[in-house]
Parts: sequence; C-alpha cells; structure tokens
Amino acid sequence: MTLVNLTGIQAGDFSLLADDHSPEEGAAVAVPLSRLTDEGDDFFKVAGPVGAVLTTDTNHADLAPLMNKLAFVVVDFPAFGDGRGFSLAVRLRKDLGFKGEIRATGPVIPDQALFLLRAGFDTVEVADERAEAFKAALKRFDSFYQTDYTGQVSLAHARHKATEERKAS
Amino acid sequence: MARKIKGPQMIVANRLLDGRVVFLKADGGWSAVAADAAVAADEAGVDALEALAQKSADDNFVLSIEVIDATERDGKPYPAHMKFAMQALGPSVRPDLGYQVSPAWEQTDL
Amino acid sequence: MYAYDKYDHALVNARVEEFRDQVNRRVKGELTEEEFRPLRLMNGLYLQLHAYMLRVAVPYGTLNGTQMRKLAHIARKYDKGYGHFTTRQNIQYNWPKLSETPDILQELADVEMHAIQTSGNCIRNVTTDQFAGATADEVADPRPYAELIRQWSTFHPEFSFLPRKFKIAITGADIDRAAVKWHDIGLVVKKNDAGEIGFEVLVGGGMGRTPVIAKTIRDFLPEKDLLSYLEAILRVYNEQGRRDNKYKARIKILVDALGADEYARQTEEEWQKIKDQPIDFPAEEAARIKAYFAPPPLQVLSDDVPAVDELAKKNFLFAAWLQNNTNQHKVPGHVNVTISLKPHGGIPGDATAEQMDLVAALADEYSQGELRISHEQNLILPHVAKKDLPAIWTDLDEAGLGIPNAGLLTDIIACPGLDYCSLANARSIPLAQQLGKRFDDFKRLQDIGPLKIKISGCINSCGHHHAGHIGILGVDRKGEENYQLLLGGSGAEDASKAAILGPGFDENGIIDAVEKVVAVYLGEREEGEEFLATYRRVGPQVFKEAVYDAR
Ligand code: HEM
Ligand code: SF4
Repeated sequence: MTLVNLTGIQAGDFSLLADDHSPEEGAAVAVPLSRLTDEGDDFFKVAGPVGAVLTTDTNHADLAPLMNKLAFVVVDFPAFGDGRGFSLAVRLRKDLGFKGEIRATGPVIPDQALFLLRAGFDTVEVADERAEAFKAALKRFDSFYQTDYTGQVSLAHARHKATEERKAS
Repeated sequence: MARKIKGPQMIVANRLLDGRVVFLKADGGWSAVAADAAVAADEAGVDALEALAQKSADDNFVLSIEVIDATERDGKPYPAHMKFAMQALGPSVRPDLGYQVSPAWEQTDL
Repeated sequence: MYAYDKYDHALVNARVEEFRDQVNRRVKGELTEEEFRPLRLMNGLYLQLHAYMLRVAVPYGTLNGTQMRKLAHIARKYDKGYGHFTTRQNIQYNWPKLSETPDILQELADVEMHAIQTSGNCIRNVTTDQFAGATADEVADPRPYAELIRQWSTFHPEFSFLPRKFKIAITGADIDRAAVKWHDIGLVVKKNDAGEIGFEVLVGGGMGRTPVIAKTIRDFLPEKDLLSYLEAILRVYNEQGRRDNKYKARIKILVDALGADEYARQTEEEWQKIKDQPIDFPAEEAARIKAYFAPPPLQVLSDDVPAVDELAKKNFLFAAWLQNNTNQHKVPGHVNVTISLKPHGGIPGDATAEQMDLVAALADEYSQGELRISHEQNLILPHVAKKDLPAIWTDLDEAGLGIPNAGLLTDIIACPGLDYCSLANARSIPLAQQLGKRFDDFKRLQDIGPLKIKISGCINSCGHHHAGHIGILGVDRKGEENYQLLLGGSGAEDASKAAILGPGFDENGIIDAVEKVVAVYLGEREEGEEFLATYRRVGPQVFKEAVYDAR
C-alpha cells in the first residue's frame, strides 16, 4: 500500500489497534469507533495520538463527544460507490470543525482523488500500482463549480471576483 | 462450480472495444454469428465454455458474458429466448441496419 | 442561450481528456469493468443489447442550430445515421464504439455540449419546459436556474456517488410540461406577494416499480437560496438513502420512510447551518446567466395572418398541425412549433441525420437559431413568426416531419424496449408503430383529441407509463412478451398515477384494448371533455367491462 497525500498535511504514522489489545504507551493507534466510544479517559492517557476508524454509515453526531480526543480519522470505504464517506468527511470539517488528518481507506479509485480532496480528505491509502494514477487525477481539473468546505470557492464567485479585482486596479 | 442446467447452453458477450455482440466458439474465439457458437449439453461443458469466455474477459476482449439457453434454427445453434435472439439479429424495428445485414466480421479499427 | 466562458470550456475539455485516459486504462486492463462502469456511465456510456449506447445531454432541452448539426454529424460519422431523442431531453446514439467515444465527446465539447452525468448515481441532466422563455403562461424563464443547477451539480465533490440516480426538473409555467411532480426534486418558479422570485420545492417523486408523486416540502424558497437548499436536500439523501437495495434507493423511498414533514424538517435544519456560506450563486452570477436567456428581440405582430388561415382552409393537415403543433408565444404574432417525431409507423423520438440538419436550417432561418427538445420526444422551433408557418410546414412535411399529431393519441412516448435495451421484458416501439397504423386517420385523431399514451418495456418506466392517460407496460409472461394496460395517469400539474385495468395482453390484444378504451371514451364523453377528464369522472369500471367482458 502507498499513502497518497492530497493536501500536503503531515501524515500520521499509526497502526490499527487489534481488538482486545491495549495500546502501548505513547503509540499512535487507529481504533474502530465502536470501541472508542466505550473507552474511558485512561485509554487516551496511555496511548499517543488516537484516531477513529469509521464505517461509512457512521452518524457524525456520534463523533461529537470524541472531537477533542481524536488526532486523526480514518474513513473506511466498503466500496468506492459508497458516497456516504464523502458526506462524512464534509460533516467532520463543517459541523465538527475537525482539523486533524482525515484518511480514506478501502477500494476508492483514482478518479475520485479530487472529490476526496474537496470533501475534506487529506490522505488516501491505495494499492502501490495505483499511486501514480491517483496523483495524476489530482491535476485533472483546476477550477470547480461548487464552494466546498476546504476553502475552494465556486466559479460562480470566482468569476466575479476577477471582475471586481479588475475594477479595483 | 457445480451447476444445474435445463438444456443446451451457449455463451454470448459484447466485444469490449465496440460493444458488438459476439458468440463464443469452441476454440475460444468469438463469432458475430450465432450459428458458429459452441453449444454445451452438460454442466462440465458449460463450465469449460465459461472458463474460455472468462479468459477473453480477463484479456479485455469481451465483457458482459451471459450463459444462455440454446436452441436450433436451420440445424444451427441459435438463442432460445427472444432477448438473445434480438442480440443475434439486431433491433427488430430496424432490419435495415442490425447484424442481420452484415453478420460477418466487419473490419473495425481494433 | 447560455454560452460557455473559458472556465466552462476548460472543464468539459478536461473531462474529455479524463475519459480518454479512463478508456485507455480500461482497454489496457488497468481498470476492471466493475471500476470502469460507473465512470463510463457518468459520461453517458451504457452497454446495451447490441452495442454501446451514448446518451448526450441537451441541458434543459435548449440547443442551437450549430449544435443540432453537430448531433447530425455524430450520427453520420460515428453511428448509423440516426439518433433517439428521449424523455429526459437527451439524445441517445445506439451504435458508438468505446474506442471512439472520447472523440465524440471532444466533438461535442467543441460546440459546448457534453454527456456528463447523463447516467450513473449522480445528479442528472436538469430538465424543464420545452417552451421555457417563450410561452405566454410563464412566471419566469426557468432555464437560468437550470443552468445554475447544471453547473453546481457538475462534478459535485460530495454528491457524485449517491445511493441512486437523481433527477431534478424545473418549470416556470402554470401548465406543467416538465412533469416536475415525477422527479426526485421538482421546482416550480413562483412569485410571492412582494413580486420576488422563488421556488416551490417538491421532493420524492419517481416512477420505477414504486411510482410516487412528489410532495411539497417548501412553498416558497427565495431565489438566492436555491443551491444551499438543494445541497441540504441532497446531504440528507446521501447520508440516509438506502444503499442495500437498488430498488429502494431512490429518494422517494426515503421521503416515504421519514415522512415528507420530517424530510422537510431535516432539510431545514441542515439548511440553516449552511445557508450563509458562499454556496449560493452571487447576484452578479445570476445576472450574468440570465442575460444569456434574455428574450429574443421579436417584433409584436398581428395574430391574424390571412395566408395562414387560407392554407388552413384548403388543407386539413395544415389546419390540424396549426391547431396541435403550435403553442402561443408570449409575443403576439408568434408561436412555438412542435415538430413531431412520431410519424405513424415510425420509431418515436428517432430522427435521421438529414432530419436533424433540416431542423437546424429551419432554426437558423425562422427561430432565432434556437431549438428545444421536449420530454415528449419531439423537437421545438421556438419564437416563430406566425406568417412563416406555411413555409416551415411545407419544408417539414417534405421531410416527413409535418405530422400534425402533437398531443394526440399517436404522439406516443415509447422507451427503446427490447429492441435495444438489455433490461427490457418486451418491445415498446412496435406497439407505438401498430397504434400509429391503427389510428392513421387524422380526422379521427382530431376528434379523439388530447390523449397521451406512454409505453415502457419494463417496470423501470423510462416510457413514463405511470403518467400516461393510457399507459402500457411490457412484462415477461413465461418467456412471451405481454402488455399491461393502465389508465388515468398524468404527468402534468394534476399529476396522477395510472392504475392497472386488468390482466395483460399480447401484442395484438393490447392494440385492440386501446381501441376499445378509446371507443368507451367517445361514447361517454361530455361536450368538450378530454379523455382524462372522462376517465376521472366515470371511473375504470366501464372501461374494464368494455375491454374484458367481450373477450
Ligand atoms: C436504453 C437504456 C436505458 C436503461 C438501461 C435505463 C435504465 C433505467 C432504470 C434502471 C430506471 C429505473 C430507475 C429506478 O427506478 O431507480 C430508469 C428510469 C427512467 N428512465 Fe431509463 N433507461 C434507459 C433508457 C431510457 C430512455 C431512452 C429514456 C427516455 C426516453 C429514459 C428515461 C427514464 C425515465 C424518465 C425514468 C423514470 C424516472 C424515475 O424512475 O423516476 N431511460 N431507467
Ligand atoms: S423502461 Fe425498461 S425496457 Fe424501457 S428503456 Fe427503461 S429499462 Fe429499458
């Protein structure tokens, strides 16, 4: 597997915590959300950076109590067509104000690279032979019709910004 | 894979590059004409044909492989059901331009 | 008409290159068919029975002569000389090669057209009234909003992998010619008491195996809030729409499960959170786009044109055409002409490259270079001066396009059915052809009056049979084609679901049954009463008796 960095974030180096294992002291671990919600403060004290592994059917409201404890989030796509993963990332940025790394895992495809980026993902774990296609796909489009929650403003605005700037100068 | 079949079977697919309907021949090649199709009478035969077809799919030559009931027309293999007979001939409402007009392989820029 | 700016051009061109790359990767085996399929679908490319099928969008059904000529050129060069205009204001080509589709898409991009999101589980081509911006009964031209939605929904980062396809329709007229109540989202342009423009918003309409008429979730949404409100609707759907069963994945099922009130509440709650973000178009952008749809500079002319009246007196077919195939324009002395693609015995919605070229030439000469496609699979010349009608009709008639049957029994919507479609149970087109032959008498058709027959080859309902005054549904009965008869549907502002009348028929039987239904109507109707009104008044029983008792 290769990690493709979409945003240039400092990508986390962590491992998936096996079921019924406790984290080693200071270790960066990714833990399924179902387990994290049951863990007490001790868990977070022992471990280093903790991230939640989310299924795409996660209700973002369930994450709210964990927000200040999570260093990163992994959204695990069961299939590339499961678009809930995109809304989940949007919710993390928009409604939960999450600033940490959001990673996509699972069978996402290179042609989704820009969608992932614009929905709020930072990194994607991909099969080695696909890494290049992912990077190429990131360069395909450079203007967009929608305002998103990662700072991209829609063409509907950008078109007139240009006019305004011209007027100003 | 064990399977139960009700009668003779043949395989139809579409060619990847142009979508054209093709029937699997006994040698693993494909023909635009249903009459050239290989027909399997038993389960083992169907499995063997399917493996041949799958190889073509793996080679990115065909897609949408279907194992279909076969019957005979003029003593030659022919799809038993209307939908696949339609595939053998082309749209019934445009007899002027379906495969019935030029069933042979057309030279395409494959 | 909207014209691309450099950004729009760059985007469609980039899309063509992306698809070219995807096709190459598929051919080389770097993409499996499973992975490639949604990508090709999002570029309008299906695999059908005989070949690939390419569905090209005609955004909100508006195109110009140059674009129509390009469609003709594509039919000639890459296909078999014809195309099929669909109920979703698209055109489908039935024989393109995968290897050539990137070239076709490039040719389309050259004339500001595309096949983006004409299929797949994404927001599809937005459809509207074929007379938008030209009809007398309109609050405002809905097309600027359709264009704003087209742009917003194109390559949406969050809504490109929805549970299922998503169709939005918008109308600005009192008479609903866009079937908005049968769409996932229906929008009706309205003016409030203060004279401001806004939208009534309906959600959850759809056909398929569970036909549902959309419900209003907001009576008046201010114009400026359109996109953020749509985003809220879509987010609720993307998160909660079912993904375990594709027949239950449409928004109509979610709206039904939650209840329209709850759907409205959740939408409202989400909308409140986002409505002040810069999601909506700024006023300058709305103004920029509206400017492209400014009404053409038509002179006010007299509605009395003696030459037209004279020809109508002499020629019954022209008179019928005048009555059925023209719609009053908002500028006096002008009409919108419906060019029927329903010749008796022909294939509904099909047009040859030559016919497309002719229509393009007529558009350049008589209709400000503009053309429309209707959801009833016909072509429209908008903004035509009444005095030009005799010349137009003569040209059309010579090319087999002067059929005076718009809105009549033989103006049939039919899906491709088993002749082309891999999902079909039965053929649809031959039924339309048979009906055309059975009712090939314009005096009789004229007497029967407005009657919409809609035929689908399977329960997916691409032929809108649920919304037909008479609907016909093809089913598979022990391997044989069989047809169910439905009565009483409507796709208009008085939308209703057609109901199955009784057991199905074979091909000949269904044609006979339609004839009996029509006979009952003629016997029962009151002065000036149209078919649907009679059916609604007398109910199904008389029809049932006539159709089934004598069997
Ligand atoms: C030939 C290939 C086609 C295929 C494979 C196809 C497939 C489908 C499917 C699967 C549905 C059901 C969707 C659902 O219930 O969720 C559907 C609905 C529909 N299709 Fe098609 N279709 C085809 C052609 C057409 C054509 C030619 C038209 C226009 C004439 C069309 C217009 C529609 C419409 C209006 C609906 C109903 C919308 C609704 O479900 O609410 N389709 N199609
Ligand atoms: S209604 Fe059925 S048969 Fe007709 S085009 Fe749609 S999917 Fe095909």
